[in-house]
Amino acid sequence: MKPLILLIEDDAQIRRFLRAALDAEGYRLQESITAEEGLAQAASRQPDLILLDLGLPDRDGLEVIQKVREWGKIPILVLSARGQEKDKIAALDLGADDYVAKPFAVGELLARIRAALRRSITRVDGAGSLVHFGPVEVDLDKRVVRVDAKEVHLTPNEYKLLQVLIQHAGKVITQRQLLNEVWGPQHTEQAQYLRVYIAQLRRKLERNPARPKYLQTEPGVGYRLVPEES
Amino acid sequence: VAVATVASVLLRDTLAPTNLAMIYLGGVVAVAMRCSRWMSVTSSFLSVAAFDFFCVPPYLTFAVSDYQYVFTFAGMLVVALVISTQTARLKEHAAHAAVREARTEALYRLSSKLAGETRVFEAARAAATLAEDVFGARVVIFLPEDGKLSFRRRTSDLLPVPPSEESIAQWVFDHGHKAGLRTDAHSDAAALYIPLRGARETFGVLAVLPDVVSNAENRIFAPEQQQLLEVFASQTAVAIERTLSQRAEEETRVHMQTEQMRSSLLSAMSHDLRTPLASITGAASTLRSQNDRLPLETKQELLESISDEAERLSRLVGNLLDMTRLESGGVELRRDLYPLEEIVGTVLQRMEPQLEGRAVTTELAENLPMVFVDDVLLGQVLWNLLENAAKYTPPGAPLELAAFESGGAILIEVRDRGPGIAPGEEERIFEKFYRGKSDNVRGAGLGLPICRAIVQAHRGTIQALARDGGGTTFRISLPTQST
Repeated sequence: MKPLILLIEDDAQIRRFLRAALDAEGYRLQESITAEEGLAQAASRQPDLILLDLGLPDRDGLEVIQKVREWGKIPILVLSARGQEKDKIAALDLGADDYVAKPFAVGELLARIRAALRRSITRVDGAGSLVHFGPVEVDLDKRVVRVDAKEVHLTPNEYKLLQVLIQHAGKVITQRQLLNEVWGPQHTEQAQYLRVYIAQLRRKLERNPARPKYLQTEPGVGYRLVPEES
Repeated sequence: VAVATVASVLLRDTLAPTNLAMIYLGGVVAVAMRCSRWMSVTSSFLSVAAFDFFCVPPYLTFAVSDYQYVFTFAGMLVVALVISTQTARLKEHAAHAAVREARTEALYRLSSKLAGETRVFEAARAAATLAEDVFGARVVIFLPEDGKLSFRRRTSDLLPVPPSEESIAQWVFDHGHKAGLRTDAHSDAAALYIPLRGARETFGVLAVLPDVVSNAENRIFAPEQQQLLEVFASQTAVAIERTLSQRAEEETRVHMQTEQMRSSLLSAMSHDLRTPLASITGAASTLRSQNDRLPLETKQELLESISDEAERLSRLVGNLLDMTRLESGGVELRRDLYPLEEIVGTVLQRMEPQLEGRAVTTELAENLPMVFVDDVLLGQVLWNLLENAAKYTPPGAPLELAAFESGGAILIEVRDRGPGIAPGEEERIFEKFYRGKSDNVRGAGLGLPICRAIVQAHRGTIQALARDGGGTTFRISLPTQST
């Protein structure tokens, strides 16, 4: 069966074009206008993905993320306004999977939806041990990284960072989440480390480190590993 | 007189008595020059008497042997009186001139001190300090607060008059007449209160406290000092009045500038918002009403136009919001240490669609220190500069982005080989809503002002420089962080 998407959004015009776009892609769609209604439907219909607007009339969208995460791992994609990095980080740290800033092009949104759905499926299947993006090949079993078929040496921390990024491939990860997973919870404020390591990873993996294609920065929020669209 | 007498007695045998009279007249001149008018008149009479007593035979009596001497006495007396009167008058003139000069000097010092003062309180304080110097007394100026005179707004740190006299000062302020010490009203007060009366209103009250320890109490209540004090007060009032009117003028000017800004904002807005809106509305309504009759190709074109124009509108609104937030101080810099490479990379990667495959050469110096910036905002500066460079140069023309360290600053340059900026416009292009004279690219003139606001918030500078061989370099200079 086609994936079911729950859209929680109060603006009628945005619902209208999303309905058209998602329908054309073959997704099934459930719409709700308020946070309250959205939470009830999330529980009863068990959608495959939630598209959540943060500015809802009855409750803060962040509360919806919190409530949904109390009982499930349904991917949540946040629709946020431009320039509100704080909200984005809060949503991601609460467990949202990704965000798209308004105004957005439908193509971008659909790509994010596909990435989020794919992740939730591969999580069940178990990831393959070989991961490819661009010229890079990572053998997760043997902990070997190759660029253009040549082995590249990574320090343990660099490898760990790459591993975390691969686990969340396609999805934005906040600085805090990365620091927590690689260096541990007591280092979550030391973002400079992270930047130095990301820069090193780019030098080792990217063809042009000054114009990274795969290890992308989400300014003010975090990082995203963008595997090539297959 | 005594000196003249001794000299005359010693010389009376050698000189004729008439010549001895000259010695007495010399004495009278000396007295007149040194002492008061009464003293010199008295000495005139004494001289004649002494001359008679000691120098005219028979000696040591007032009796006169030769009646001719009576004429001598009369002549001598007249001459002595005239000399003493004239000398005294001359002295008075000199004294008056000195007073006038002191007064002129005091007023000159006052007006030159207050001329450059743009704040009322500072003007009052300068006047009070000068008055203490000129009058040798303690002087405080009280200013009104919300239309009522207040002892709290005063020019000295300490309050030298009893707080109970605030009502006297208030009365002086309300009525514009002096009161207090040695005046008709409240003569038992500790100080003399003089209103600072300007042409239209009273600006405050000047309080004078005679310094009891020194002799100044008497001097300050001398009529000419009182007069000077009043002139002083009215000059201070005039200066304050001028300060106020200057401030009002300044406010009007700022207000007019704001109005001008607002109207240019409105005209820029109405044009730049309406144009894309018109395109969107037109294309959408065409698609809706003539859908069946349009060839597929045209439909595609109209759809693209809607999408492009919406994008433009979105950027414009975004810029406007940014500018407003930057100006109202609503943007809080979230600075941290970043490798410049990361910020540059993010911008270039995100700009790929706008750059349309155009070559952008990046030259980042090796070992560049990390920059202490807000990554989102600095990224926006680079975005705006690159977007401008792409807009103002022919499609496909290469762009350069370079960064290096020089003289305690990190310089980031965005260079193009476009038509360049007209001489004289290098500064103006950073002004809000300014469009270059030969500018036929659409835009609201907000991109560069936003860049400047952001760079300045980072304590850096941004400038446009002409390039050798044509084109423009935009140079951002950020101070290197010592940490």
